[in-house]
Amino acid sequence: MEEILLTAQPRTVIGKQVNAMRRAGWIPAVLYGRHLDQPLTLQIDEKILKDVVAKAGRNRLIRLTVDSGAPRLVLTREVQRNSLSGRIVHVDLQEVSMTEKITTNVPLVLVGTSPAVTRGEGLLIHGIDTVQIRLLPTDLIPHIEVDVTGLASLNQSLFVKDLKVSAKIEILTPDDEMVAKVVPVKEEVIAVEAPVAAAEVEVIKKGKIEEEGVEGEAPAAGAEAKKPEAKKEEKK
Amino acid sequence: MLLPKRVKYRKTHRGRMKGKETRGVTLDFGDYGLQALQPCWMTSRQIEAARRAVVRFVKRGGKVWIRVFPDHSVTVKGAETRMGGGKGAPDHWVAVVKPGRVIFEIGGVKEDVAREAMRLASHKLPIKTQFISRMEAQ
Repeated sequence: MEEILLTAQPRTVIGKQVNAMRRAGWIPAVLYGRHLDQPLTLQIDEKILKDVVAKAGRNRLIRLTVDSGAPRLVLTREVQRNSLSGRIVHVDLQEVSMTEKITTNVPLVLVGTSPAVTRGEGLLIHGIDTVQIRLLPTDLIPHIEVDVTGLASLNQSLFVKDLKVSAKIEILTPDDEMVAKVVPVKEEVIAVEAPVAAAEVEVIKKGKIEEEGVEGEAPAAGAEAKKPEAKKEEKK
Repeated sequence: MLLPKRVKYRKTHRGRMKGKETRGVTLDFGDYGLQALQPCWMTSRQIEAARRAVVRFVKRGGKVWIRVFPDHSVTVKGAETRMGGGKGAPDHWVAVVKPGRVIFEIGGVKEDVAREAMRLASHKLPIKTQFISRMEAQ
């Protein structure tokens, strides 16, 4: 597999000042690791970082060079993004040792088509989309493939315990977490069409009145509130 | 239409809609979704109209998740009423939506179907929205 290279510069700017740095095209990052005395604050060119993050995801080793120091093997641990624009805001990098096991999350990729979906009886819904695994950095995998062709009947599910992974990989996510499920296609989807609309509007009004009753403020309270207004108007 | 089953207080303060949403900003259930780009009070009617637009388009395929709930009551004073006399009567329910909030999610359909369904839904909503997908997020 092609090696991913990344260069970074040490950063002295911290706090709110980093916004100016972002505007100039630099993304703040931090590098930490078990064998580092203290975390290093870094800044990385946005365009380069974007490509590296897209290529490496969270499960490929990156050869990071800080300034002109010796290269280090790192993993991206957290990529903070702007929730609207998707632009990277900050990146956490972790230095890894090739002889020590690490814990990471790998994405699950659903492969194949369920027969129930092919027949048009069901919909394939995914549960969790990543699993936490523990392994040596040398055994890192980009994703785990989940074969869904075995989901032949409705309401059949695949769980974490059904995942097939190498013996070198230890899955930490609980076995009973659902990965994929075939749910029946709901008929109500079509039944909720327009003719019901008028009735629904009335139900809402009734609902409100009932609700007032439930909470202890009887509908009469609303009526009472209106009465003083009416009296005032009469006086005026 | 969506409305709360029970509420503690019938009338609520209007509140503020400052800043961006911090929760409910990622796709958690489906593969594609519709994200708000502006703040608004989204009424239960608007949510229902958008949901219907989606369901009608995807027909039997796909599952839709609604990620907002109208739990904020809006009161209106009667027509030709002078000021004073207290707060008006509850009129309808709204969801307070801030930029970044995922409004709908859809799963079990292809991207082109999801995109068109979300486009139709967006026309029923009072704000600008954007289509998001799980693949892009990763």
